[in-house]
Amino acid sequence: MTSREALALAAVTLPALTALTVAVVPRRIVQPVAIAGLTLAGTIAIGLSLVALTDPTALEVTDWVVIDAAAGLMLGVIGIVALASALTSPAYLESTSAGLFGARHAQRGYYVGLAAFVAVLSAVPLAGNLGAAWLLVEATTAASAILVGFSGKPRALEAGWKYLLLTSLGLGFSLLGIVLLASVTPGATLDLLSWRALASTVPPGETALVAFLLVTVGLAAKIGWAPVHNWLPDAHAEAPPPVSALLSAALLPAVLLVAWRTERSLEPAIGQSTGRSVLIGFGLVSLAVAIPFLWRPLAWKRLLAYSSLEHMGVIAIGVGFATPLALAGVAVHIAGHAVAKALGFYAATPLLGHEPRAAGHFVTGIARTQPPLGATMGISLATLAGLPPSPLFLSEILIIAGGFQAGRGWAAAGTAALLALGFVGLVHALIETTGGRPHRRDRTSAPGLRPVVALAGAATVLLAALAAAAFWLPDTDIVEALARGVG
Amino acid sequence: MNGTLAWSLVAMGLAVVVVRRRSVAVGLVTAQALLLAGVATAEAATVDDGTAAVALGLRGVALAALFLLIVSRTRETRPVRATVTPLVRAGLAIVLALAFIWLIPPIGLDSEQAERAMLALVAFGAAIVATRRATLHQLLGIVIVENGLVLGAIQLQGGGSLAIEVGVALDLTLIALVAVVFHERIFAEFGSGDTTALESLRD
Repeated sequence: MTSREALALAAVTLPALTALTVAVVPRRIVQPVAIAGLTLAGTIAIGLSLVALTDPTALEVTDWVVIDAAAGLMLGVIGIVALASALTSPAYLESTSAGLFGARHAQRGYYVGLAAFVAVLSAVPLAGNLGAAWLLVEATTAASAILVGFSGKPRALEAGWKYLLLTSLGLGFSLLGIVLLASVTPGATLDLLSWRALASTVPPGETALVAFLLVTVGLAAKIGWAPVHNWLPDAHAEAPPPVSALLSAALLPAVLLVAWRTERSLEPAIGQSTGRSVLIGFGLVSLAVAIPFLWRPLAWKRLLAYSSLEHMGVIAIGVGFATPLALAGVAVHIAGHAVAKALGFYAATPLLGHEPRAAGHFVTGIARTQPPLGATMGISLATLAGLPPSPLFLSEILIIAGGFQAGRGWAAAGTAALLALGFVGLVHALIETTGGRPHRRDRTSAPGLRPVVALAGAATVLLAALAAAAFWLPDTDIVEALARGVG
Repeated sequence: MNGTLAWSLVAMGLAVVVVRRRSVAVGLVTAQALLLAGVATAEAATVDDGTAAVALGLRGVALAALFLLIVSRTRETRPVRATVTPLVRAGLAIVLALAFIWLIPPIGLDSEQAERAMLALVAFGAAIVATRRATLHQLLGIVIVENGLVLGAIQLQGGGSLAIEVGVALDLTLIALVAVVFHERIFAEFGSGDTTALESLRD
């Protein structure tokens, strides 16, 4: 077993073992055990990411596991967000009452769900096989739906039910596509659904195209691409903030990676232009649907959720353009979005402690009454808006330039126009949220603020590093490896 | 697979689209799942591998137990009326099924009847989710979609179906389990499994 394989195994099994351990240990040590296990798992995922990205040309691909640059990038994101979510969970649990699991088992239920979710999520980018990837994506639904409804409040139950129903139905259509692919693959053993085998064995034709569309539409329901995104704003808004961070910053791009790998593998059968156009189409529609909501005075977490719709659209467009510039933009965008979005969701715990009406209403003037909280929300929103010099500004420039490089000028111009509109909406929200007239004058420190402010410091450093990386990334082996895929 | 068996599965699916009583719907879906386990067992005899049959059999039993639990623990005080009448629901489901059969190219399963039955079940399940208001019926819709896909996996030529069958059986039973937890909580919170109560989240 190579060092990469050992790290990959540890990144998946450690959170799974944490879930099992937390399920049986005495109640008083549930939280320390869970945080220790998730911290270690997150650190290992980050370690594997560093190994994979330091030497991106060294590719490890079997029929079941793939450890490449894309998997490395995603595991880095998952590791960082899982680690931060574990560290911010105690503050959330202190602020909540008995939920889905009842007062006695709330903490244990929460951490078992969180660790199980991280375990399955970590395995998604490593799946070397469309069938295995589908099973893992479906398993993330089971683990995360429980967490979405964790508070047990009517709105959380509604959000959890919608999430479970719509994503399960969507993934049902994906499975229909997989059955279709298996039926046209000669010999049809499950190994032939591996990314490499799909590229060489699926015969070109109508069946391959219909199968690709079914798989992609089904995955779109899970990624939250419009028009099959209805569950996304509800689930992200009603889940506990540390879970919302994992859903938005890690789960959506991890499933998007599966859609990307599927498209890449089926390009020989469906045609390169067709596959990429489908991704660009989903991206543009998602951007167009998100923008009217970014202009509205929405509750904080709902605003962040619609921003996820926008950013998953941007990533889809970049993946569809698929030039080195666009892929460099995609890499920076995935990482930058994860850091900024997770920070925004973590800020929701002290925000709701300070201003409970923020759960359902647009809040203003937070920086006037709670300067550190306002600054944290400001960093998150300014980055997500793409305000220069944020890494998302640079990544969006790279993606648009990549569109022109790919000869898709109309799509690139449309992306630029839609992003400009989204920018205006989010900057308005930024100004009002931080500097507008406050509803409350209470200046006592918001509960759970300290860990969030510490994370804001770390996030600022990471975002600055990502902004710097955007300048040298296009000419690196990492982008070359992303462009090459698993082939 | 013979045509009678395939169309029996479809008839059960269509019956769930129109029936009012949830106990009848639950019985039909459970019978469908167990019938599929039986088909897998018969297929296993020819390929000399009973793994999928065991997995699907366990899935059928697990679903039966889950549904029994739901029906006994959550009694509706008054029926949850669907917004669409049974005849319209049936019409919609049949049109959707015909559209699927027309749009999706031949899959190449062992039997053409099974191929059409699979697509019909997927369409019926989707129609149920879209037109029924009761959480239990929506869950049954998802299970019918799964049953259709399981039928497709069983009838796939070659060995690729085994992992799909086992995976689907395990994964989707897990999803059904989580859905049952939600159904119970929704029932406890709202006193009914009517999803019209779940429409507060709108922008």
